[in-house]
Amino acid sequence: MKKYWGLAAFALLATLSLSAQTAGLPDLKGRTILAVTENAYLPLNFADPKSGKGIGWEYDAVTEIAKRLNATLIWKLSSWDTMIQAVRDGMFDVGMDGISITDERKKQVDFSDSYMLSQQYMLVRADEKRFSDPKTFAANPKLLVGAQSGTTNFYTAVDILGGDEKNTRIKLFETFGASVQALRTGDVDMVYMDASTSKGFIGANPGLYKTVGDPVGNDNFGFIFRPGSDLVKPFSLAIAALKKDGTFDRLNMKWFVEYKP
Amino acid sequence: MPWWLVALVGLGITALASAFATEGYSAIFGAVASGLGVTLSVTLISFAFALLLGLGLALLRVAPWRWAREIATFYIELVRGLPMLVVLYYIAFVGVPALASGLNMLFSPLIQAGWMGPFQSRDFDFATRAVLALTLGYGAFLAEIFRAGIESVDQGQVEAAQALGLNRGQAMVHIVLPQALKNVLPSLANEFIAMVKDSALVSVLGVQDITQMGKVYSASTFQFFETYNVVAFFYLCLTVSLSLLVKQLERKLKRPTSPS
Repeated sequence: MKKYWGLAAFALLATLSLSAQTAGLPDLKGRTILAVTENAYLPLNFADPKSGKGIGWEYDAVTEIAKRLNATLIWKLSSWDTMIQAVRDGMFDVGMDGISITDERKKQVDFSDSYMLSQQYMLVRADEKRFSDPKTFAANPKLLVGAQSGTTNFYTAVDILGGDEKNTRIKLFETFGASVQALRTGDVDMVYMDASTSKGFIGANPGLYKTVGDPVGNDNFGFIFRPGSDLVKPFSLAIAALKKDGTFDRLNMKWFVEYKP
Repeated sequence: MPWWLVALVGLGITALASAFATEGYSAIFGAVASGLGVTLSVTLISFAFALLLGLGLALLRVAPWRWAREIATFYIELVRGLPMLVVLYYIAFVGVPALASGLNMLFSPLIQAGWMGPFQSRDFDFATRAVLALTLGYGAFLAEIFRAGIESVDQGQVEAAQALGLNRGQAMVHIVLPQALKNVLPSLANEFIAMVKDSALVSVLGVQDITQMGKVYSASTFQFFETYNVVAFFYLCLTVSLSLLVKQLERKLKRPTSPS
C-alpha cells in the first residue's frame, strides 16, 4: 500500500511541476507536428548502434518542447542534402540537424531562436607538426582542408583562408566520414569539426587524430520551419523556457559529456 | 568454377569470417541488414513499374502513328540524357509538388464539393518519390531494350501473319512480342542488376536502404572503413548471385529448342 502512496505522491508532484513548467507557453491542443532529422550527426541526432533507434540531444529537446506545447510529435527521416528543401516545401513541420542560422538559409526557411552555440576545432593527424592554429595553417599554401559543401565547417574553412569559396585548398566531400577518411590517408591535412564529433573520431580511432588550436566560429543552431510557419514563435518561447529552467544544461551534460559513442 | 568467382567467394568468406570473429562487425551486419528490405522492395517495385512503362513506350515507338513515335522518343531521349541522381532530385522536389497541384486541378470539383481533401506534396513520402523517380528513369532505358527486341524479330513474320489475316495488333501480341521478350530477357535481367546498384541513390533522400543505414551507422560509431566493407559485401551478394542467374538464363536461352 505504501508503494502506491509513493506513486500517487510522485504523480501529483509530476503533474504540479508539469503545469508549473508549461505556464506561459502556448497550448497547441494536441496538434500533430512532423519532425524531421537524418540520424547522422552525433550526438545531436543519430541511430543508437545497438537498437537502431534515433536518439540524441535534438530528439530529447524537441520531445520536451512538444510536451510543453501540448503537441503530438511524429518523427520522420530525411537526408541533410534535401532537408531544407523538404521543410520549405511543407513536407515536414520542423527540421533539425545542427543547422546553423545563416542569412542565406533565412531566405529559404524560418529559424527558431538559437538552441545551441557550436564551435569548431581543427582535427588533424596525430603526428601533425606543421601548424598549430588557423594562422599557421593559412600561411602554408601546401596545406589542404577537407569540408562538406554547404556546411558550417566549409564556411569556417573559407573564413580562415581569406574568404574565397573557390579556394583550391578546400577539398569538398559528401560526408564528414569521407573528409576524415581523406585526412587519414593524407589527401587533406585538416578538417573543421565540432567538439563532440572530433571527440568521437579520436575515441573510435586511437592514435590517429588530435585537435589543435583554439575553437573558432560562433555558430548558432536553430530549428527550421516552412516560411511563415506559426510554430516558430511557440518553439522559440519553449527554447527560452528550457534554457532558463536548466533542461538544456542537463541535455548538454547527458549527450556531450556522459554519452560515450 | 571460373577464377573470378573463386576470388569473389573467397573475399566474401573472409568478410564473413571477420564478421563472426569480432563483435563490432556483427553489429554492423545487423545495422546494415535492416536496410536490405528497403533496398529490395524499392528495386522490385520500381522495376515492375519500369517494365510496364518501358513496354508501353517501346510499343509507342514502333507504332504506325507519327505522334506516338514522336512523344515516346521525346520522353526516352530526355530521360536517358539525364543522370539518375538528377532525375531523382527533380522528381522529388519539382515533379511531386507539380503532381500534387495537377491532381488538385483534376479533382477540383470533388474537392470543392468536400468529398475529398486537397492533395499535398507531403502525402508522397520520400520512398514513394524514390520509386517514382527510378520507375520514370528506368522506364526509358527498358523501352530501348524492348524496342531492340521487337526489331530483332524478322519483319517477314509480321507480313506472313498479316497475310494469314491477323491485324497489326494481333501480330504484335501473338507473333512478335513472345519472341522479342525471349530475346531481351538477359538484357532486362542485367538492367535489374544495374538497378539494384542505382537504388543506393535513394539514400540522398534519406530513404533507409542499405547505403543510408551504412551512413547512419558509421555516423554514430565512427567506423567508416568497417561499415562500408559490410555495405559492399551486401551489394556484392545481391549482384553477383543475380549475375550468375543471368548467365544461367543466357545459356538456357541459347540452346535451340528446335533445329532451325
